[in-house]
Parts: sequence; C-alpha cells; structure tokens
Amino acid sequence: MTKNLKLKAARAAKDMSQKDLAEAVGVTRQTIGAIESGGYNPTINLCTAICKVLGKTLDDLFWEEDPHE
Amino acid sequence: MNRYHNRAGLDEKQRQDRERIGSQSFILLLYLLMLDAGLYGFGFRWAAYPANVMVLVTLSAGIYVARLIAAGAYIGPARGRQRPLFKAVATVLVAAAVSFTLLLLLRQADFTDTERIDAMASPVLFISGGAALAVSLLVLAIRRRQDRDGE
Repeated sequence: MTKNLKLKAARAAKDMSQKDLAEAVGVTRQTIGAIESGGYNPTINLCTAICKVLGKTLDDLFWEEDPHE
Repeated sequence: MNRYHNRAGLDEKQRQDRERIGSQSFILLLYLLMLDAGLYGFGFRWAAYPANVMVLVTLSAGIYVARLIAAGAYIGPARGRQRPLFKAVATVLVAAAVSFTLLLLLRQADFTDTERIDAMASPVLFISGGAALAVSLLVLAIRRRQDRDGE
C-alpha cells in the first residue's frame, strides 16, 4: 500500500497532530500513523469520520491516482 | 459508545490485529501440545503433568500478550479519566484473590494430590501476584508510549 500523503497534508493544514486527529476520530495514534504510512486500509466508516473531522471528501483524502494515467 | 470500539475499547485496527494474533497463538498452542503428546509417545517426558501443560499454556499466553503489546493492540485509545494507580492495585488484588480461591478449591477436591498442591501454592501465588503487577505497570508504560506524539 502506498503512503497517504493527502491525509497528512490535510491534517497539517488544520494544524493537528496525529494524536489530535486520533482523539477526534476515536482511534489510537498508531492507527492514524499506519493509515498515513500506508500500513493499514481503514474501513469506509473510519474514512468518513476522518473526512468529517478534516472537512474533506473521500476523494480528497482516499482516492488513489492511477500511476499509468 | 464510539462505533469504532468494541467492549474492550479497541479501535478497528487493534481489533483486527488482536484477532489475527489470537488465532496464530491458538494454533501455536495446538502445535506445542501436539508436539508434547508426540514426545510423550516416544517416552520423552520433559515435565510431569500438569506442569508440562501449564508451561505450554503460559508460554503461548505470554507470546500472545507480548505480540499484542508489540502491535499496539493491548489497550485501546484513552478515553476520559483513567485512574491507572487504582487499576494497578485492583489488578494485583484480584489476581491474588483468584489464585488463593483456586488453591482453596483444589485443596478441597479429592481428585488431586494435596502434597503437590501444597508445594505449588507459594510459587503460584507469587507468580500470579508478580505477573499482575508487572502487567499493570506495563499497561501504564504502553499507554504513555501510545499517547506520545510521533510523526
């Protein structure tokens, strides 16, 4: 899995640490770190919760660009 | 309750990790017990019953707990006031009470050797209490490490 740099950028834009985002969403900091590093694929529920906290859409944060395009 | 948490307070990733590690630990225990039974069939007895079973179960449980801690799936996200000292003391007391009660029940049962139970009493109590205290302290350390900011 590839790194989720969009999530990291959106979190940084809101001046939130991984811990802040984790507490807002209700997961551990390690889970947020794993999502950003590409080590874990979150469920759709967790994706939407993260989007709500960061004020972004699913496409903004979790859509993967096709490398062959 | 937050929909990402089960009754143990773990988030979805922690639940997934715990289930995977639990399944693997169960299979490990199965293989160890089968290996022990096989060795017994060839006449090799490395420990008398029930010590051999207790050691294998304790070993598998220890590996399970260690892997859970390493995967960050031992305790869930901190919510609200934790009262860690109270929980640590309560854990030690409960572990000691369970050990003591178990020994009393075993003493009253006629199907076992009371001399062996007497010989096991002190180490079982000591180990249970010590293990409970160690686990409690470990939980405190893990929670502090989990909550530490890291980018």
